[in-house]
Amino acid sequence: MKIFLEKLVVNYPFTIAVFLFMIGALIVLTKSNLFKKLIGINVMESAIYIMFAGGGNIRGGAVPILEEATPKSLFINPLPSALMLTGIVVSVSVTAFGLALIIRLYKTYGTTDARKIAEMRNEVIKG
Amino acid sequence: MLELILALLSGVAGGLTVAAMRQIKNWLRNLIVLIFSALGAFFSWRVALLVFAGENVTIAGQFAGLSWSLGPDPLGVVFALIVSNLWLFAALYSFGYMSGKQNQRTYYTFFLFSLSATLGVAFSGNLLVLYLFYELLTFVTYPLVIHERTPEAMKAGSKYIIYSLSGAGAILIAMVITYSLTGNLDFIGKVILAGSSGPGLNWLLALFIVGFGVKAAIMPLHGWLPEAMVAPTPVSALLHAVAVVYSGVYGIIRVVYSVFGHELMGQLTLGRMLPWVAAFTILTGVIIATKQDVLKRRLAYHTISQLSYILLGAFTLHPWGLAGAILHMFNYSMLKMTLFFCAGIIAEQTGETKVSRMGGVGWQLPKTMIAFGIASLGMIGMLPLNTFWSKYYLMKGSVAGGKWPLALVLILSGMINAVCFLPTLVSAFKGEKGSSDTEGGGRLALMLVPTLILAGISLFIGLWPGLLWPGVQAVVDWFF
Amino acid sequence: MMTAITDNLSVFVVILPLFIAFVLPTFARRMKLVEGLVISVETLWLIGVGYLASIVLMQKGLPIIYKLGGWEAPWGIELKVDSLGAFFLLVIVGVSLPVALFARGNLTEEVGSKERVIRFYVLYLLLGGAMAGMAVTNDLFNVFVLVEVATLSCCGLVSAGNHPRAAEAAFKYLILATLGSTLLLGGIGFIYMTTGHLNMSFAHGELAQVWQNSPHVVWMAFSFMLVGFGVKSAVFPLHVWLPDAHSNAPTPASAILSSIAVKGYLICLLKVLYNVFGPALMVQFNVHRILMLAGMVAIIAGSIRALAQDELKRRLAYSTVAQVGYILLGFGLMNIKSLTGALFYLASHAVIKSSLFLAAGAMIGATGKKNISELAGIGRKMPYTMAAFTIGSLSLIGIPLFSGFIGKWNLLLGGLETGNILSAIVIVLGSVMCAVYLLPIIRIAYFEPAPEEDWQDPGLPQKIALILLSAAVMILGILPGPVLELATRAATELLMFQ
Repeated sequence: MKIFLEKLVVNYPFTIAVFLFMIGALIVLTKSNLFKKLIGINVMESAIYIMFAGGGNIRGGAVPILEEATPKSLFINPLPSALMLTGIVVSVSVTAFGLALIIRLYKTYGTTDARKIAEMRNEVIKG
Repeated sequence: MLELILALLSGVAGGLTVAAMRQIKNWLRNLIVLIFSALGAFFSWRVALLVFAGENVTIAGQFAGLSWSLGPDPLGVVFALIVSNLWLFAALYSFGYMSGKQNQRTYYTFFLFSLSATLGVAFSGNLLVLYLFYELLTFVTYPLVIHERTPEAMKAGSKYIIYSLSGAGAILIAMVITYSLTGNLDFIGKVILAGSSGPGLNWLLALFIVGFGVKAAIMPLHGWLPEAMVAPTPVSALLHAVAVVYSGVYGIIRVVYSVFGHELMGQLTLGRMLPWVAAFTILTGVIIATKQDVLKRRLAYHTISQLSYILLGAFTLHPWGLAGAILHMFNYSMLKMTLFFCAGIIAEQTGETKVSRMGGVGWQLPKTMIAFGIASLGMIGMLPLNTFWSKYYLMKGSVAGGKWPLALVLILSGMINAVCFLPTLVSAFKGEKGSSDTEGGGRLALMLVPTLILAGISLFIGLWPGLLWPGVQAVVDWFF
Repeated sequence: MMTAITDNLSVFVVILPLFIAFVLPTFARRMKLVEGLVISVETLWLIGVGYLASIVLMQKGLPIIYKLGGWEAPWGIELKVDSLGAFFLLVIVGVSLPVALFARGNLTEEVGSKERVIRFYVLYLLLGGAMAGMAVTNDLFNVFVLVEVATLSCCGLVSAGNHPRAAEAAFKYLILATLGSTLLLGGIGFIYMTTGHLNMSFAHGELAQVWQNSPHVVWMAFSFMLVGFGVKSAVFPLHVWLPDAHSNAPTPASAILSSIAVKGYLICLLKVLYNVFGPALMVQFNVHRILMLAGMVAIIAGSIRALAQDELKRRLAYSTVAQVGYILLGFGLMNIKSLTGALFYLASHAVIKSSLFLAAGAMIGATGKKNISELAGIGRKMPYTMAAFTIGSLSLIGIPLFSGFIGKWNLLLGGLETGNILSAIVIVLGSVMCAVYLLPIIRIAYFEPAPEEDWQDPGLPQKIALILLSAAVMILGILPGPVLELATRAATELLMFQ
């Protein structure tokens, strides 16, 4: 148990990532407000970014810039961070697209609540 | 070779011709149908003569890594001959029966397509092709079953499709298992599973029997057949007494003699049980038939019973039994067509479909009822008629195969057949001569002529059964 | 000039549609030009892919490897056109050309306005480009980016429909698909952290050696990947978005989504499973059992759900859920026959389903009726459309001489090779159920009396598209030659991959 807790603390970026991921998933699956769903997605994605960035971090490593004058032996792995930049761009576009859809839904139904929208649609079909 | 392809194509070509001609006089359409049916029969005869002469008419090829082959052996040829010749009679009868009815173009289109599909089953040289045509036959006969377009017909059609496709699914699994066991699906001139062994073969056999048994209406897979009687009478007569159900019977004979082979069948537990399944169907079918009041339904259950005669002969695994089965395929088909044709004429002329209300019909339609009488006697197995001989060989085969109780089953079934048909016949000529003879007019003649000819042929073959013997001999020699 | 093109063909087939997609909006006011451009690009694309596929076929097993920017493999990004890639490229192009032809001059009503039609085409080409990229890429992070591009274009295509339900369906799809891609990114992260490689071949080599150090992480990677791709390719319990999305999208969009988009993710899953983890690890972690189970459940459950639908497009959409099951089952059986069957089934289903959706869309467009029970007698009024629908249905049921049969036959053989009788039974049961939910449509269309209304076949481009797709169904069924050859070779390569 102690070793397990110790691992949790030592690998704190991953611990945080797991918590964030679960929080995000909970928001996505339980909230019916469309905005909150979108926020939940963003939280989940942040969790993955932290995981990647944490994985690329090397304790005591230097910034990965090659300096001729003072050569260093240990560097932080820059690749995960670079990848995550792409990931962030992707998630921004997903968010933008989701917001555009929410606006369109709001214009039609006058609400941003998924349950109410479903109710209204069913009434339209019945009526 | 060429004859084979032409025989297969004549139905398709005829169907397409009929379909293409939307606005056409009825007599011209009838002529086209007759010509193409006749072509089908003609080329089937050519193929048959070539095969009996011992020539090789096989066409084979590769398809997606699988081989296919067309090329009948004597069994296939016999089946093709029965079907294609009876098609001519059914076509003639249809011209009378269908005149003045709606949707004739659709009817004749699929009528001819069915001819091709059935000949395809007969001419198939391996399981893959057999499966293909067996499945196609389901689809091209479906529009004929639902010809009346009533809710009842639609329901019967759906039942037919679901039963048949489930059966085809069983065959597909069985076929794949066979292929993965042996890597071979060709069955002409050899036995696919020869030399195999193992308890799993019982299950494989069961799959095959269930698959083909749907169309051969083995109980309890017969549910679709009585329902399908909502179809027009020529369809009931040709497809549901002969072509479609025979494709199932043919498939089973193939499985028994070409896939498993009679030696392997004799070793399998299921193979030894199958004659009893057939015996059960024979008795149950005919008993249920006796209780039916609607004549066509009675004939349908009777069909179920009679098909199992053929199967019984095949399942005895004895040359005499097989000879009886092949003879019965010939004989029964003619008699049953006659019976159905008579039922159709009665329904059309008097509007009666129920047996209990057919008293005195005989005075109105004497020729029809004479044909009906001949066929009924044949079904009982009376001596001057052809079925006597097939029953004789069936019994001989059962006894020679060591299963003498089967012969008793056959005798018992003959008695029940008498109970089934004779009262109808007697009551038809009972009572006073009500309305006068109404058997006249061109339309009725078209229906009556094929009926009488078929009854006549049955009688003729009963007197000279040797006429069929070369064909039967060829099949039996081929397998034993 | 020619060699410059042929040498770089593997990258051209990916960037050609992507590039043209961004050029399209500049012709915003000229519909005819845009439509002409899209179709000519698709044709050009077809030629390129055909050439590439013929090279792959002639090379007998040697993949074309293209190093982006000239960087060597572990550092640079690789494109690898192996048999699998060439096979899927052929499927993509073969389907998207007829679908584009069908869209021609036919979209304005479904989409709303001309500007939106052009945006539709932009998304359409983007989706095609992303799918092509997924077929040929050999880099895990590339997979993620392309999956995201494809997902966003799919959502855009779904929301392009001119009615509020489209936006709703698109949002549902967006949320679930992003959930899936987040999991996917997580899975890629686990693989990267275990092996230090994003290149599939290198990751595979490394993983085979180090997986024992951290089996839990590998297990996590497996499950994240399975669920991530599972959501996107509508594997049964994760399919909830699919019926809404596919039935509310405009007709060409539902055709391309059902036929190509779902398959692209399946191909990626296949590549990740076989090329990164490798067959040995799959057996070690029992992933093949999960795939088989998921496949069988999907076949049965999808078919049952399809039976209950009266809305034509929804029935087809649930049928897609069932057919994905066949492909997964083939992936899970793990032998050459079953993988060949799954791949061939994937191709034939792509062609069949796009043909079915296009025919359904044409019928709905002509009649304004969405439900099957309202389409009585349509077969006599719209003969071309219904003939295409009939051919597609028979093929999906698996009648011999149609393409569906060859796929199912190989799947059955594969199932029996591993002694898995249950899979054979489920496959055949699935076909029977398929007949039960498709044949009534044909019966209603042909054998029930038609109302007195003026329903007509769609215009010439639509007819040509339907004829092309039906011809493809028949040709794949009768002469599957090179396509089956590519599928067989792809299956062999996947299993022998070291």
